[in-house]
Amino acid sequence: MRRAVVLAAALATIGAFFLMCTSEIPESRRLASYIPVTVGPWLSEADQVFDAETIFGYIDGAGEVYRSYNMRLLVARRFHKDGRPDIVVDAFDMGAPGDAYGVFTHDLEGEDAAIGQGSVYKAGLLSFWKDRYFLSVYAEEETPETRAAVLELGRLIAGAIPGRGALPGLLGLLPDGGLERGPIRYFHTHPILNYHLFVADENILLLGRETNAVLAEYGGRGARSHLLIVSYEDAGAAARAEGSFSRAYMPDAAGKGTVRTENGKWTASRVFGRHVAVVFDAASAEEASGRLGTVERRLKKENP
Amino acid sequence: MNQRPITRRDFLKVAAAAPLAGVAIPAVHGPTPLPADKARVVLVRDPGPLGAKGAPPAEVVQRMLDDAVLALLGGTDIARAWKDLIRPDDIVGIKTNAWGSLPTTAEVEQAIKRRVLDAGVGEDRISIDDRGVLRNPVFQKATALVNARPMRAHDWAGVGSLLKNYIMFTPQPSAWHGDTCADLAKIWDLPIVKGKTRLNVLVMFTPLFHSAGPHQFLKEYTWEYKGLIVSRDPVAADATGLRIIQAKRKEYFGDDRALPKTPHHIQLADTRHHLGTSDPARIELIKLGWTEGVLI
Repeated sequence: MRRAVVLAAALATIGAFFLMCTSEIPESRRLASYIPVTVGPWLSEADQVFDAETIFGYIDGAGEVYRSYNMRLLVARRFHKDGRPDIVVDAFDMGAPGDAYGVFTHDLEGEDAAIGQGSVYKAGLLSFWKDRYFLSVYAEEETPETRAAVLELGRLIAGAIPGRGALPGLLGLLPDGGLERGPIRYFHTHPILNYHLFVADENILLLGRETNAVLAEYGGRGARSHLLIVSYEDAGAAARAEGSFSRAYMPDAAGKGTVRTENGKWTASRVFGRHVAVVFDAASAEEASGRLGTVERRLKKENP
Repeated sequence: MNQRPITRRDFLKVAAAAPLAGVAIPAVHGPTPLPADKARVVLVRDPGPLGAKGAPPAEVVQRMLDDAVLALLGGTDIARAWKDLIRPDDIVGIKTNAWGSLPTTAEVEQAIKRRVLDAGVGEDRISIDDRGVLRNPVFQKATALVNARPMRAHDWAGVGSLLKNYIMFTPQPSAWHGDTCADLAKIWDLPIVKGKTRLNVLVMFTPLFHSAGPHQFLKEYTWEYKGLIVSRDPVAADATGLRIIQAKRKEYFGDDRALPKTPHHIQLADTRHHLGTSDPARIELIKLGWTEGVLI
């Protein structure tokens, strides 16, 4: 066993690659080059490379999450040391910084590890993003030693990735007042929206791979509300989506775009060109319309 | 009790508003003394320690399974009970789950196999498999299936369930991912499985109540529940396991936090596909053994 691991590490060191699940993808070499061959006493085994079609062979249905963010490539490298828990690096090339950031925001549980352009660490799992890459570094069991190794791997990988990525422009539309730090999600599709805030079983906002959306949480516990901003391909698509949402979610709004729902809170929606903004569960109609007004002003400032 | 106010979004959960369907239990042999209109589910637990791989010792698992099957079917003779499930001339596939972080466990697989052997089936007509079922000659010719897997939080389906365990009977599992796996119950209509499932065993030794990261597994999100859920009705078994997962989430997180993905495939298996019963009011739950921390 040890001989095989050492051999694999040696091969990785000289740049040899075993592409187990797909034909060779040139970008995989670049991505793999960011990952160290060893960390402490752990030695790496042969890499596995997956794309958006083959990812299910590695992480079954959870691959849909990464596909929904347009993943291009995954390089998985396992680190082994006899008698210690394995450590697995999953390095995703998401194709664009926005999607690397987005898939990072999918799970924000944990403490900030100050790695890359955003990171969280919890119980042996480090997640971070940098440039167009999303990284997961995972110890099969957390011990003080694996924790240190996971964080060290993260720092080394982040340091090896040369570029930095821009945050999605939609984030600039979010009003500041009451915005909690952290729970901002960026995504494209309806299942991911429902992951963070269940809206409806049906895709009433007509979300898809071509739409970009940001969901932000405002207020604290007990006074929590959400602001969703979606950008569509054009103004017509936005108008159709807002119409669909209004008909399904707030038919009792009578075209006013604001309604008090069963929990006594307020929901409001507006179309601003190719954008749709929805406030869920505001404490008052004024709070909802105020937040939407800020979005509108920011959009006008962006596109006067 | 702190009740969460009903939100507009609650009304837009399609499964919640759908009418209840009738119970449709897969075909079986022998008497099934069920109360009218109810699906029977047995939850059995043992407080003893778990082994290194997360299962109780083999003899404890065998006893748990036997107790559950007797409670499920009635009687005191375990061999007789299994003969009500499996004929000697059956070809039997034991559909397991090989997911590395939380497998069905060899102890459960072997406890089932032993009783299938006791029912008179020759060893050459029994197979245990997961990802290879479509290529497995026994599964290709199977006349009876036993379905066994652990329940776990799942990043796309809400939970990995008995219903979902049959996705490997399809040539392209990802084709069933639509609407977060809403229609998994339709798999149960495919000829390779339709009407063949004689028993469902939901393994709850160390369930995963929350998922994180690409591998969806952190030991932090498991706990030693030390149970098995056994039923003829996969929907009722899954619905019962889901109640335990949700209760654990409430205990751990301190609030009514929903699973990240709605596991609506379980309720839709009832209301849309009429495969079984998901409504707890229509499930007769028999609890055996250890009661501490039972959660439901």
